[in-house]
Amino acid sequence: MKKIKLSIMTLAIALSIGGAFATSPRQSQDCQAATQYYYNGSVYVLAGKMGIDYLCATSSNICTYYKVGSTYVPCMNGVYCTQNCKTTTTPPKTKN
Amino acid sequence: MNKRQVVLESISALLIMLFLYASVSKFLDFQRFIGEMNNQPLPNSWTPFLVWTVPSLEIAISVALIFERTRMAGFIASLALMTLFTIYAAAILLHFFEYVPCSCGGVIRKLTWPQHLVFNLFFVGLSVAGIILQRRSSFHSISITKNSFV
Repeated sequence: MKKIKLSIMTLAIALSIGGAFATSPRQSQDCQAATQYYYNGSVYVLAGKMGIDYLCATSSNICTYYKVGSTYVPCMNGVYCTQNCKTTTTPPKTKN
Repeated sequence: MNKRQVVLESISALLIMLFLYASVSKFLDFQRFIGEMNNQPLPNSWTPFLVWTVPSLEIAISVALIFERTRMAGFIASLALMTLFTIYAAAILLHFFEYVPCSCGGVIRKLTWPQHLVFNLFFVGLSVAGIILQRRSSFHSISITKNSFV
């Protein structure tokens, strides 16, 4: 009985830790580690730090992009916003 | 190992997998976790406290669920934490906050907010089942011990 208990627990621990390592993005693949840009309708602009300089509100749109060579590739989903995120306009941010 | 014990062990294992996976993922990508925490509609001044307490609590609950002696406390703590997460997900869905943050990245984090709510409710249910079964199991073992002395 103890053997069964021990194997269930060992399996659970191994699966969870292994799963966490397997699904964590490697530094090179993690787009969030790269400099983030947002598209203001005509050009790509430096976004700053997520949660401090800007927010990504829920949406199926693209919130921020990162640069690969000279191409801007989508990174975070959502709507880029800095203030009054309900209406998703982009004047200076005042969170906090 | 009777049926009840098998179910109890399975519930514990599922909760351990959830909490350990969630906490290890957070620590493995800590900078991203800080960013995502800042993106939540909570004051940014809470972030330094939350980024350490949430994963630490998750690890503590996992450890408590492993051992028979601390399992009940583990189930209760798991119920409390999952209830808090569920209330938070429900508050977001009910537009209680100024905006709805994106739930982006990771495996669990790829869920939408309604999916998050259902997912959390499932684990709230598991924690409740764990508490009930653990109590019954404790009563059962106490009565067996008493009977053996008669």
